[in-house]
Amino acid sequence: MAGSIVVFDPVAPKRDGPQQSRRALDGLAGKVVGFVDNGKPNFNHLVDDLAELLKSRHGVKSTVKHSKRSASIPAPDEVMEDLAGRCDLVITGAGD
Amino acid sequence: MQVCSTEFVTLGRAQARALGFPDLPIAVVPHPFGRHTRDKVREIAEQCVEDIAKLACTAVPPGSTATTASGKRALKVDVADDADAINRLFRERRWTDGLPVVPPTVERVERMLRCTPRAADELVAAVAPGFGVATVERIAINAVMAGCDAECLPVLVAAVEAMAAPEFNAQGIQATTNPVAVWLIVNGPIAKRLHLNAGINCLGQGNWGNATLGRALRLILQNIGRALPGEMDRATLGQPGKYSFCCAENEEQNPWEPLHVERGLRPEQSAVTVVGAEGTLNMNTHSKDPDEVLRVFAETLPRPSGNDYFLGGDPWIILCPEHAQVLKAGGLSKAEVKHRLWEASKMPARRMTAVDMQLTRVRRGTELGAISPDTLLPICPAPEQLGIVVCGGPGTHSLYVPSFGNTRSVTREVIWAA
Repeated sequence: MAGSIVVFDPVAPKRDGPQQSRRALDGLAGKVVGFVDNGKPNFNHLVDDLAELLKSRHGVKSTVKHSKRSASIPAPDEVMEDLAGRCDLVITGAGD
Repeated sequence: MQVCSTEFVTLGRAQARALGFPDLPIAVVPHPFGRHTRDKVREIAEQCVEDIAKLACTAVPPGSTATTASGKRALKVDVADDADAINRLFRERRWTDGLPVVPPTVERVERMLRCTPRAADELVAAVAPGFGVATVERIAINAVMAGCDAECLPVLVAAVEAMAAPEFNAQGIQATTNPVAVWLIVNGPIAKRLHLNAGINCLGQGNWGNATLGRALRLILQNIGRALPGEMDRATLGQPGKYSFCCAENEEQNPWEPLHVERGLRPEQSAVTVVGAEGTLNMNTHSKDPDEVLRVFAETLPRPSGNDYFLGGDPWIILCPEHAQVLKAGGLSKAEVKHRLWEASKMPARRMTAVDMQLTRVRRGTELGAISPDTLLPICPAPEQLGIVVCGGPGTHSLYVPSFGNTRSVTREVIWAA
């Protein structure tokens, strides 16, 4: 019967940092909602429809729309700052 | 909050965890979303907006804000001292690329760590998309598993540093549906020290250093970067180069300056370059006329389905020594070859489908201005961005290496004890 040996686990934990938690909203009425369109086909239409429906059905005060040049790159810093400064909720897209 | 198409929910959840937002809500829409009619999108939006309203107002479950451990030193596992048992363990835990591994024992890893002056627990980079902590020790562990000689470690450390450069866009490369692998090009004296193949069949099988270095990088991307196929690695098909894609430049038969010198290093320095590569395409011509060689290369590159043209990419040409000599004998410098290929390989936008041309307008509008069907799209934004290396042995086969598009190759010096 074979004895045992010690081997390393090759997997890495993720880098240090606090896990951040979202804040639940107390309703959408009067809130500002931002969007980052990932540039994939049809997502611009979904953003337009969601913006309209959030306002008409849920009383959202206004919406802020940004789009990325391409899905596989990050949004520019100025876009992130704009969204963080103005919005109560930000919606991004992922996938095809 | 994210809106994910069904096939991307796994990626969305894993990515949110990796970025420190484990409870980020996800509203789901049917995949493939881009295929729906405008009316169907509206119908989906009617449901999606209610999901969004509910998710946005749902209280956060308690206890989900713990700080992660730093994990500077690698964990160890007891396993039966038997090759089958060890590989069964690694297979069950998805720690391999699908092939058997060399067990990363303490002795083997310590032997490898003696080949670098850097401390075992030194952080080299956090590897996207999981942002796992790539310490020197963890790089060594994965290198041992791949079968690397101990002296390979400094190349891998430099490669991990290079992949962390923002312009490389490891995040996009790791999580994309595209068939993209990371191609390693090694330059300078370390290539000879490691007996890397720059000549015959250098991108094929048979050389221990090429095969194991490329494989080690894949294990690093998977085990440290956490890009597991079907989870955060969303590749539709992948490609064989994801197992291993590594060669040295054939500096002895390169009639121009080698890649690392072109990029600012001295010939006696060593370097590794990482490229987000989508395979290889053979360019075979027996012509000895430099104008003809350039013409057929330039006619080979344009593809209406190519990311280089969609995005303004990071394309590469691997010139075989015989083609390089033909071009050199024609009086061309490397820069002139790049410029002529870049000009002659422009593609009319009309060759793309209507939807792809529209996407290209969004993606390249800043670079090119308004794009009409007659617009000639360059393969990359500027001629100097067209990569050229000389590799391979006798024969008349050069290669086009299409790029992922949203990436720029990065070169880093390899620090090693000569």
